[in-house]
Parts: sequence; structure tokens; C-alpha cells
Amino acid sequence: MKRLLKISLLLLVAFFISEAVFAQDDEDFDKEDPVEELAKEVNSLKPGLSRFLMRGYAHAGVEFLQNSATFVGGSFNPIFLWQQSKRLLFESELELELTETGTELGLDYADMSYFLNDYMTIRLGKFLLPFGTFGERLHPRWINRLPSNPLGFTHSGQVGPLSDLGVEIRGAFHMTRSAWINYSIYVVNGPRLNDGGDEPEEGGKLHYNNYIDNNKAKTFGGRIGILPLNNSSLEIGFSGQFGKVGSSDTKYEDVGSQLYALDLSYVTRLDFMKSMLDIKGQWNRVKVDQASYPNPEDAAQSYSFENVSDAYYAQLSIKPAFVDNSFFNKLEFVGRYSKLELPTEAVWGGEDTQITVGINYWLDFRTVIKFAYQTLDSNGTEDGHNSLAQGDAFLVHWSIGF
Amino acid sequence: MKSKKYIINLAFGITFASVLFVVGCSSSKDVAVAKSGAQLWGENCVRCHNAPSPTAFSDYQWETIGQHMRIRANLTAMETDKIVDFLKMAN
Ligand code: HEC
Repeated sequence: MKRLLKISLLLLVAFFISEAVFAQDDEDFDKEDPVEELAKEVNSLKPGLSRFLMRGYAHAGVEFLQNSATFVGGSFNPIFLWQQSKRLLFESELELELTETGTELGLDYADMSYFLNDYMTIRLGKFLLPFGTFGERLHPRWINRLPSNPLGFTHSGQVGPLSDLGVEIRGAFHMTRSAWINYSIYVVNGPRLNDGGDEPEEGGKLHYNNYIDNNKAKTFGGRIGILPLNNSSLEIGFSGQFGKVGSSDTKYEDVGSQLYALDLSYVTRLDFMKSMLDIKGQWNRVKVDQASYPNPEDAAQSYSFENVSDAYYAQLSIKPAFVDNSFFNKLEFVGRYSKLELPTEAVWGGEDTQITVGINYWLDFRTVIKFAYQTLDSNGTEDGHNSLAQGDAFLVHWSIGF
Repeated sequence: MKSKKYIINLAFGITFASVLFVVGCSSSKDVAVAKSGAQLWGENCVRCHNAPSPTAFSDYQWETIGQHMRIRANLTAMETDKIVDFLKMAN
């Protein structure tokens, strides 16, 4: 009996010891190499091929106009980027803006890009048009060196399209060892002609936000950009857009339009001034085939005019970014000349000239405070085609890119 | 008459683009190979806005921004890849 007790006790002890040993073994088995563990953790954080990035920009400011001083802006533009794979990107930009009556939500672009090969991309949807460069590349508030847009490059008194709905093929390739070229060809809804039926004082104007097309004919366009210098500092672009603009089943059905743009960009380092020099310019010409429109002064009569509009600007900025003084190297000096020439015989015609000079203070590469003085010389029936500031103005804006 | 004009314009555009495309492809590679990612970043990322600092974004963010800018700035795949690799290394 005593022996049996002894054996059972021994067995019990053996059991506990073995339990403890095995447990230890289990623990040893679980405890991995810390490097491997870290690698595992890092691996678990690895994003898949679907990526989402939200960026955008915002601005606000104060504007002293001829008869008023007003705080403006408080607007922001969120940009949503969905990268679905190495080949597919969806990009979209909204614009949230305060208006006189409330808050307005706009859709600047929403399009899908698919990289067909190294030199060619297809885009579908609502995209910024490569008609010149201002609309596609330079309008965001943190990129535009001045608080206002050039004349004709805003939504009111607009000469030339900024965005549209359609399909585009774009890309780039090298032509020689130093020169390269970028290209874009697209088919879109195209602008709509205001035939003056409802608004006689607008007869002959083009409206660019033509989201539901007013005719069957599509509009074709494209741009070729040439970068002839080895360091890519200079780019010269030629754009054209052609299509019918009149509504189907009206006498304007066959009225066509020919739009052209010429753009230039030169960005280089000026070593002797320890500065960056940035020159930008664009010239837009919009030509609409001859047609007659109701005369606003006498509804029974019609009138006709040579329907050609021009808008152009040239801008120069110098940023002493490489001087040692940490205040001066954040400054930038900008000047811009801009002109709008609408058909003089049209009731909405006229000529505006705007000169803007400004000083910017850059907090970092995407945050800026802009001070600008702007003069407007308006000579037309419609006073001041620029929506932003009519007459002489002093503008202070801050802008931030995210 | 008018539609003839558009067809001519369109045909001109497409021919022009395709000729340039064919000419271009043959010489594209050696040029991009010659330049480093840092140099391509310095030359290309200042053309529209100030050159962004590499430290502003993470590797994964740079990959998406790289695609976005490849479209916006009409860059070739090779240039984009080199610039993104440089930004990922320097951030
Ligand atoms: C052709 C003009 C152009 C060039 C060249 C260019 N960018 Fe941009 N960049 C833009 C515009 C325009 C935006 C504003 C976003 C928009 O409009 O969708 C932007 C936005 C950005 C942003 C903000 C995040 C985003 O994706 O919107 C970053 C970061 C950026 N660019 C980095 C770069 C880098 C890096 C390069 C060099 C490869 C570069 N950019 C070259 C025009 C350009």
C-alpha cells in the first residue's frame, strides 16, 4: 500500500515536471526571433494594391475693392485619389465654396486614367482640359502665383474651355537626346452656343459647362507640348479644339467653332541673382462661325458680328530662394499683364486690360501668403468681365496645398 | 464643307501625334536612362509648382502622387519611376 502511494506520488511529481518542461517547450516554440517578429508586424501593415489618398488645397483672404472691403474664400478643394493598381488611377476634385446665398459644391473633375504603356495613358470622365496650361496645371490656389486669375481664365467672361466630359489619350516621349514632347488628343461634348433665344444680350457667347450635350456632333481637341532644352526648363504648347456648338434642330445647328491656344513656360535658376525665374504665358483665341442673333435692342431685328474673342496673359516671377537671409529667401516678386478682347460689335463685347503686381511670402513649398495690387482698365458695354475684382483692387490671400 | 474641315483637322492631329509617337519611342529609353531620379525631380517637379520636399510624404503616398503627377505632367513611366524611387529614398 505504502509502495503504491510512493509510486503514485512519484508519478504525480513526474507529471508536473513533464508538464512544466513541455509548457516551457511550448513557450520556447512561440517565442520567435525578434527580427522575424518585427518583419511580420511590418508585413501586416503593408498596404495592398488599392490605395487611397486625400489631398487638395484651400484659400482665404481679404480684398479691398473700389467700393468695398470683404473677407473672401474660406473655400477648400478636396482631391481624392484612388490608386486601384499599378495601371489604374481615379482622380477627383470637389470645390466647396461660400456664395452670397449659401455654400456651393462643385465637381472640378472626376476621371479614370489607365496607363496603356510607358508612353500612353487613356483618361475617361470629366477632366481638366489640356487647352493651354492655366486651366489644367496652374489654377490651383497654391500654384497660381497671384490671388486672381488672368482675364478670360475665370468662369465669367471665359475665353476657352477649362474642363469637359469625354475621352482623352495623353503621354510623352523623347524626340532627340535633349528634346521631348508631350501630347494629348481628346473627344468631348464641347461648348454650347448661346443663340440669344432666352437671353438676347448673350447671343453668340459660348458656354463651356455643357454637361448634357446640345448636339450630336462631338468636339475634338488636343495639345502638343515641346520641351526643346536638355534641362526641361522651357515648354511651348500648341492647343486646338474644333466642333459644332449650335443646338440640334435649330438654325444654329451647323455653327462651328475653332479654338486655339499657345502657351509658354520657362522655369530656371538664375545663379547671378541666387533666384528662381518663372515665366508663364498663354494666349487663347475663340472663333465662332458667323451667324445672326436676335438684337437685344429690338427683338424683331437680328444682328451679326465677327465672333472672335482673345484672352492672353504673361507673367513673370522671381524668387530669391538661394540667398542666405532666411526672410528674403522666402519672398517672391510677381508681375502679370492680362488682356481680354471680346468682339467689339457684340453687345457683350469690349476690351479689358489688367495689370497685377504682387509679393508672396512662402512658409514652405505649398503654403503662401500673397499680397497683390491690381488695376483694371475696362472698355466695354459690360463693365469688368473679371468676376474677382472689378476696378483697382488690393488683394491679400493665403493658400495652402495639402 | 464644315465637317470636311473638322475631318482634316482631326486627321492632321492624329497623323502628327502618331508620327511623333513612333519617332519618339525609338529614342526614349537612352535619354531617361542617362538622368538620375534626383536630377529628374529637380528639373521636372518645379515646372508648375515649387519642388515638393521628399520628406513631405511617405513611400506609399509618393507612389500614388507619382501616378497623379505622371498624368498631370505627362511624364513617361521611366521618369516617374526614377523620381518616385528618389523621393522614397530621400524622405
Ligand atoms: C505640369 C505641371 C506639374 C508638374 C510638372 C508637376 N506637378 Fe505636381 N501638381 C500639379 C497640379 C496642377 C497639382 C494640383 C492637383 C490637381 O490639380 O489635381 C499638383 C499637386 C501636387 C502634389 C499635391 C498632392 C497631389 O497629388 O495633388 C504633390 C505632392 C506634387 N504635385 C508633387 C509633384 C512632383 C513630385 C512632381 C515631379 C514629378 C510634380 N508634382 C510635377 C502640377 C504639376
